[in-house]
Amino acid sequence: MRIVIVDYGMGNIKSIMSSIKYLGVNDVLLSDDYEILSGADKIILPGVGSYAKAMSMINQNKIDKILYELAIINKKPLLGICLGMQLLCNSSTEDGFNKGLAFINADVTKFEEHSIKIPHVGFNQVIKNPNSKLFQNISDQSDFYFTHSFKVTSSENINQSMCNYGQNFIATFEVENIYATQFHPELSQNNGLQLLKNFLYES
Amino acid sequence: MLRKRIIFSLIYSDGFFNQSRNFRLQKVGNEKWLEHNYQFSKIAHSLDELILIDATRINKDILKFSDTISKIVENVFIPICAGGGVKSIDDAELLFNSGADKILLNSSLFENPNLVLELIKIYGSQSIVGSIDYKSKGDRFLVFVNDGSTEIKMDLYSYIEYVQTLGIGEIYLNSIDNDGTGFGYDFNTIDKVIDSINVPLIIAGGAGNESHLLEGLKLEKVNAVATANLFNFIGEGLPLARKKMINLGINLAKW
Repeated sequence: MRIVIVDYGMGNIKSIMSSIKYLGVNDVLLSDDYEILSGADKIILPGVGSYAKAMSMINQNKIDKILYELAIINKKPLLGICLGMQLLCNSSTEDGFNKGLAFINADVTKFEEHSIKIPHVGFNQVIKNPNSKLFQNISDQSDFYFTHSFKVTSSENINQSMCNYGQNFIATFEVENIYATQFHPELSQNNGLQLLKNFLYES
Repeated sequence: MLRKRIIFSLIYSDGFFNQSRNFRLQKVGNEKWLEHNYQFSKIAHSLDELILIDATRINKDILKFSDTISKIVENVFIPICAGGGVKSIDDAELLFNSGADKILLNSSLFENPNLVLELIKIYGSQSIVGSIDYKSKGDRFLVFVNDGSTEIKMDLYSYIEYVQTLGIGEIYLNSIDNDGTGFGYDFNTIDKVIDSINVPLIIAGGAGNESHLLEGLKLEKVNAVATANLFNFIGEGLPLARKKMINLGINLAKW
């Protein structure tokens, strides 16, 4: 199996790479090249940092078109992590208003409650969706590591699993071949490794 | 429910890991010693996060430090925060590429706020932890930078406000007076400043045993407790402490 992590110059990919290798897949590449991404069995879209900057890097390098072809038309399994999840949505209100890849009908907005500390940092429990492939062999209310100031919400059924921090928000979604997690599975100990294993072998 | 965190801080200096007492460093062992006594790939199950601090006093070598980071974090699947001597975007990038998920900034908060703003713009607030070292003097609280060697003009209250206006994502609040004493955290000061902190708060300095960690975790507005005590939590020390706290009903993640 070959896993390709999308390289758009942002995100700490070292721990994602090492967790995939730890799970027995040694063929892991980091690339923005069409041929290499096309040759992947599965693709991971990582990301840390600014939404606007990420989208501009993605558009500049035509990664939006490549991902559209591979994930939407060819239905190759794709996993978005943290900012990578948010980029799959319609738009984000971070730094004004920025359009996303719009593969999934969901929106990204800031945590607004005054009673909570922002960013949302640490392990939090996820209420798992019973239909989820990602959560196979993972108990309900398991802990995963989050670190973010913006959250995803949607009025549609996108097979979401939920988390609560001041309010409910989407911790993961799964629509056909498109998967995403707001938390970092690669930093979430056994729970995260199991989830990545599910993406590698069950998606 | 968002969990509280137990964090282990490693004080690195020039190739060695150190026990720090009031910011005076005592060499304990090198990477091999650390690997022998703290197998992070195993005991990471008892930790929520690892912080690696380069406290080398003269001529910090960030390349050597980042090489050490990449060795320690191998097969450790928890968040890693690293810092000490980050003076440029390239320095931060090097630490990220070596396995850090967050960057700890101390002196540059005061000396180079533009760098801090730039790093936040690139990596986001949640990737930047602001480290504050302070001492109390009478009824005043003094802030120090450069590994505790340089007193700055702002007092602790205004400094806490200032670092939050920069947009850092978390505060690592470290008492120089209590550092390495094993007498417990400086709750006197923590109580005074806690309400002015609107980002996640990590308290550090003084934890000598699990009851100190427990006392810190019980405070509503303390999000994480850190210990850098290499002697007191050796071997099974951390796993046992965590287990005990979970049994006492402390809100910690379970794996």
